[in-house]
Amino acid sequence: MSPVLEMRSISKAFTAVKALDQVDFDCRAGEVHVICGENGAGKSTLMKVLGGSYRPDEGEIRLDGAPVRFQHPREARAAGISIVHQELSLLPFRSVAENIFTGMEPTRWGLLDRRQMDERARALLQRLGSSIPTGAQVADLSIAEQQLVEIAKAMLLDAKVLVMDEPTAALDDRDAHALLRLISRMKAEGVAIIYISHRMPEVMAIADRITVLKDGRLVWTRDRQDATVNAIVTAMVGRELQDFYPARAATEPGQSVLQIRGAGNRHLRDIDMVARAGEIVGIAGLEDSGKGALAQALFGDQPFTQGEVEIGGKPVVLHSPRQAIAAGVGYLPGDRKREGIVPRQSVRDNALLTLQAMAAVLSLPNAGVRSVAEADRNLRTMDVRAGDFGQEIATLSGGNQQKAIIARWLMQNPDLFVFVEPTRGIDVAAKAAIYETMRALANEGRAIVMISSDLPEIVGVSDRILVMHQGRIAGELPGGAEEGAVMQLALGVTGNAAEREMV
Amino acid sequence: MSVNATPVAMTRRGFRDVPVPVVVIALAALIYVTAAIVTGQANQISAAGLTGLLQRTVALGLVGLGQTFAILVGSIDLSVAALISTVAVLASYLMQGDPSMIVPAIAACVALSLGVGAINGVLVAYWGINPLIATLSTGLILQGLLSASFTFLSGSVAPSFQALAYQNLLGVPLPVLLLAVFALAAWFVLAKTRFGAHLYAAGGNPDGAKLAGLRVQRLVLGAHVIASFAACVAGLYLAARLQSGTPWIGRDGIYDLESIAIVVIGGTLLSGGKGGVLGTIAGVLLFASLDASFNMFGVDAFLKQVLRGAIVIAAVSVYAVRNRGHVA
Amino acid sequence: MTVLLNAVRPTRRRTAWLSVNLALVIFVVLYGVIAILQPNYLDAALFMNFLRRAAPLIILACGQLFVILSGGFDLSMGAVVTLVVLAASMLIGGDPDMTWTVIAILYAMGLAVGLANGLIVSFLKVPSIIATLGTMLLVNGLALAWSGGAPRGDLPDNFRNLGRLVLKDVPLVGSLPIAVVILVVVTLLAWWGLHATAYGKRLLAVGDNPRAAELAGVPVKPTRISAFVVSALSAVTAGILIGGFSGVSVNAGRGLELQAIAACVIGGAQLLGGRGTIVGALFGALSLFALFTLLNLLGLPQALRDSLQGLILIAAVGVTVLRYRRST
Repeated sequence: MSPVLEMRSISKAFTAVKALDQVDFDCRAGEVHVICGENGAGKSTLMKVLGGSYRPDEGEIRLDGAPVRFQHPREARAAGISIVHQELSLLPFRSVAENIFTGMEPTRWGLLDRRQMDERARALLQRLGSSIPTGAQVADLSIAEQQLVEIAKAMLLDAKVLVMDEPTAALDDRDAHALLRLISRMKAEGVAIIYISHRMPEVMAIADRITVLKDGRLVWTRDRQDATVNAIVTAMVGRELQDFYPARAATEPGQSVLQIRGAGNRHLRDIDMVARAGEIVGIAGLEDSGKGALAQALFGDQPFTQGEVEIGGKPVVLHSPRQAIAAGVGYLPGDRKREGIVPRQSVRDNALLTLQAMAAVLSLPNAGVRSVAEADRNLRTMDVRAGDFGQEIATLSGGNQQKAIIARWLMQNPDLFVFVEPTRGIDVAAKAAIYETMRALANEGRAIVMISSDLPEIVGVSDRILVMHQGRIAGELPGGAEEGAVMQLALGVTGNAAEREMV
Repeated sequence: MSVNATPVAMTRRGFRDVPVPVVVIALAALIYVTAAIVTGQANQISAAGLTGLLQRTVALGLVGLGQTFAILVGSIDLSVAALISTVAVLASYLMQGDPSMIVPAIAACVALSLGVGAINGVLVAYWGINPLIATLSTGLILQGLLSASFTFLSGSVAPSFQALAYQNLLGVPLPVLLLAVFALAAWFVLAKTRFGAHLYAAGGNPDGAKLAGLRVQRLVLGAHVIASFAACVAGLYLAARLQSGTPWIGRDGIYDLESIAIVVIGGTLLSGGKGGVLGTIAGVLLFASLDASFNMFGVDAFLKQVLRGAIVIAAVSVYAVRNRGHVA
Repeated sequence: MTVLLNAVRPTRRRTAWLSVNLALVIFVVLYGVIAILQPNYLDAALFMNFLRRAAPLIILACGQLFVILSGGFDLSMGAVVTLVVLAASMLIGGDPDMTWTVIAILYAMGLAVGLANGLIVSFLKVPSIIATLGTMLLVNGLALAWSGGAPRGDLPDNFRNLGRLVLKDVPLVGSLPIAVVILVVVTLLAWWGLHATAYGKRLLAVGDNPRAAELAGVPVKPTRISAFVVSALSAVTAGILIGGFSGVSVNAGRGLELQAIAACVIGGAQLLGGRGTIVGALFGALSLFALFTLLNLLGLPQALRDSLQGLILIAAVGVTVLRYRRST
């Protein structure tokens, strides 16, 4: 059977980064083709090319054998390509029915036919096994319900090709099962389904074929029978995995640098933890487990409202980032672009920013030659590759930007470092360098708290692992623990859910 | 991966379930009645007094209706004040008191304002220029050309055109009916047509709207054309009302800022995607009753301006203060 | 409200210099044309006089630049100038002994307006373009209400000398207006504050990415508030000079805020923050003033100034957006 969709040698580059490099992909009617890959492997970019959001630099897309070129998502939609997006594309203040029908509103005598919208929306949601009221405002729904609305929206069209980008990520077990059943039904109806996921049980359950992408390249495409979970994971992660992470500390950790007792706030409860000099404490957990909130609380960004925090043995109040900095906390934010760099300032000024932020207001900006020299030295220590430290930081690659921000904190010499998703979206070489820096900082006697969603990273880098679940610390594991064990704690170890999630 | 729900939506309960426009209208009534009673002018609470009150809402209400479209789609229009002046001056200049020129003059004004709206839309939607700056600039250009060309009052509208602003139909002043018709039309478009639904989509989540296949740029352009057209109608009304336009009529009426204020007071989100016509009408009623109350209390004209500035800031901040991020 | 311009893509540091040079080139060309029309503009005395008249605009541009770099706008500057001129005439009442006390009071007023702007933007989260439009109305209204719309009182000579006295027979330069001395002092102060202190770096960071600045420890709100204070204080300074050589008028400050913004933009400052220099603002203001002078010499109506500024704003922002588009 010839494929409904063929994508040949698709390439797409963003400024310096090649997001897709000569990727081939196809999908047949009535099959589920799963795409696997790590974050940044190019899955979403490939689907955005397919959906008309991005135009490929090279390559060809054929639909039913005929070449197509989408200039706008509406053209892809019209051609029968329907996408459930990973970032929700919903309108928060409009009703469920209005959202499902965005751009496809039925009319009667030129007027919106709201009754028809409501009826068809209700029917669609019923097919998904959901009874969300069609008149509800989307902002009032839970994330899972919003996800279902998004799916219903994509199903409204009689799609030839249906793309689902991690559709179960926010769904609970029951909703996820309903969705998987629905997918089998649509498959039987002859729809070509592209499914992106990294939940292995799910992948093995529904896939007919599996494609693995890594760093923008196609690793392989295989029939499900010919693929094992191990093979997929190996292909996703690549070979360098073993020697990727620096050796753990040889010596026992020293004095406790950070001590938290009974702390909490709106998102966190009963937090008790210690981080000692010389160790890297990894914090793992699912998306809304509270691990992000813990990082923000440690840095005074979303302060604790109860409990006690001691740094270096002294009780401290962390009500603002400034107070946290003064107390000896350094912070590498998770979203480099939005929270890390000041893009139009020079690399050097970025590295000097915290020094300047904490200096007397009218003191000379670079406190003279000395601190410029120190900044440059730190930037060199971090091996920031820039033609000139006077150049705007936005011109650097993500990895170099991240290193420059670490250099910013080296100027402060903090006792406690909070790293949030330190290697998200940066290339492999820079990753290794950042891990080494973290280890070196720990070896110099600092305490490091690393919040990460990247399980291999958590397991490979941390000396101890704290796993969060529903705003609490659910348990502690030693460094190098099995990823499965971390996942179990993260899921709250409750029957089915855990099994479904387990790798 | 979540739709930004404002705290309002998540925590609303009880009293907060009352729609914003209703609260605003109640507030407007309270202010007006209190002022009338306190100043011993209870006669203001009569059919005649209320008609006078409604009459005050016409110009600002018309501009506000147009501004509602611009704001709903996630843009804003600061050029309305200059456009009002231009239209008012152009109408009286072209008519020169001659009734036969009424239609051509109106046509010219409409054509001009559609052009201005299209330019605003192109700058904002296609060139990607920040709407505040783009429309501020087009306003400046218009104002400059206008005051350079007409330094003194030139001509007046035709008497029969002027009469339109003073006539009554079934005891209701014609301009009030005009506003009502436009408000109804605007409500109809926003609530009952696909175009309206698409405007909400483009304002509420431009990326999502694009992914759903909408041509967001065209929608923004359309909203700007509507905003300019509404300003044109307001300018024509003012020309009729005052017999002739002056180059400062829009600026002195602060129609740019006040139209934004009434839209926001009515519960329309300044970032777009939520709100509607009813809120804007409620907002203009509130402003009119405040204005009427100042008059009843005999507030000095300049002091009135001070109060207006303070009220605009207060009104916008009521909605903006919950904003969690930084605003510049 | 999202008033964010598309994150504008970095070009090398070169562009900052390029824009400064561009403003300088524009100024030299414009002044050259003026000199061709009126050769005596090349006399040192006339050039000094030109600088004297341009001084208020340059000072305003320097102040405005602080706010622009912080990511906002200050539209209340012109109103502050009007307030200063009217307040000075009424408070001094022609009594030369009062001059210095009154000047201190004027700066206190400026401080109050700047603080109000900054607090409204930082804490009430009202976008600065709306907040300062509001304070513009408020301050203008206050000034007019206070003076009753018709300014009374005279400015004594020792006050007016700040703006109009010219020292003769000064070594090197020949004649030297006091206003130029003040201009040099203010520009140097502004340059020092912006380019030679930690404060300047914070300001740039806040305008560039407030969230990142906050997480790097920058006190975002105080920094932003101080920018509005600097802007208001510079407006007071400009107002004192304007009162000095133009005398008392209720329109003393009208439109100056937009001239100041346009000057910054010509000087290469990026609207909505993150990039710009005092040298750029200086030459931007000089270019704009030279342009106005030229328009006068050519006999074009003053009102076209507004239109020109509108065009300049659109062009400047359009160029930035285009540059961004091309680089992606």
